[in-house]
Amino acid sequence: MSRGDALTLYAVCLAAMLACRCVPIFLLKGHELSGRLSSALGLIPAAAFSALVANDLFKPEAFAQGPWPAAVPLVAAGVVVLVGVRTRSLVWCALAGVGCYALLLCL
Amino acid sequence: MGGYVAIGVPCGILESQVGVDPLMSFLVSATFYSGAGQFMVCNLLMAGVPLASVAASVSLVNARQVLYSAAFSPYFSHVRKGLTFLFSATVTDESFGVNLARFANDEGWTAGLATLVNLLCMTSWSLSNLVGCAVGGLLGIPVAISSFAMTSIFICLLVCQPRTRTSVLVAAVAALVVCLCKAVGLAGPAILVGACSGVAAGIAREALS
Repeated sequence: MSRGDALTLYAVCLAAMLACRCVPIFLLKGHELSGRLSSALGLIPAAAFSALVANDLFKPEAFAQGPWPAAVPLVAAGVVVLVGVRTRSLVWCALAGVGCYALLLCL
Repeated sequence: MGGYVAIGVPCGILESQVGVDPLMSFLVSATFYSGAGQFMVCNLLMAGVPLASVAASVSLVNARQVLYSAAFSPYFSHVRKGLTFLFSATVTDESFGVNLARFANDEGWTAGLATLVNLLCMTSWSLSNLVGCAVGGLLGIPVAISSFAMTSIFICLLVCQPRTRTSVLVAAVAALVVCLCKAVGLAGPAILVGACSGVAAGIAREALS
């Protein structure tokens, strides 16, 4: 990736991020979101995080190397789910996930 | 703030693996300031996803900030524009939870204190990224392992979502569409298409019920 591409990507992401973070608070001072809009916006996190998790865990090419390489991230993800449900901690999940994934790769 | 160190260092290591230098890592962390977004950019770039899809996917993921910003609006009706901007530009998933609970339960909690929490978190995050990026090349941690930190964080954020029938449907449709897209060779737009499909399924379900 060239420096120009990197700067463009950074500028676009930063502009979108600032718009998402700053515009609503200025627009909605003293107002309420409509129920339907609020409900639709509320669906975004579950959809986005689920899509990201699926994208990271499902790798068709991994199946060509046998069932174990494809199963390693799934097993590690299962451990993270248990840790997440129990602790609801980003840090513990990250540590458990990386530790478990590294351990499974060593087997 | 300790949590930001634990996640920020691996993020900096990952950034070093896609060619970001420490100073740039610090500047990006202090301005863009999105843990999920920064991890995601690195992972998608390493996966060879086109730049437009990277930008769209990251922006879609960060669209949840719209809700956070909207949720704080009642508490900033009489706050100066400059402070309101500084606060809202530095909100994250974690500081959102802390500050919203404080505003709701503590009458002494002010916009200034909330902004201070945000800035301390941001400083912790940015410095952790800087350190991770600086030492990343020396550690030689495999990308697959360091990037699984973000996968773990996404899993945590997913399981922490309110569990309703609609949200389960949204998550299931999003994941299924991503897998289908990747299975037919459409890895680039898979996240965006999957997330949009999930939201559409949720809207349709709510409209029908």
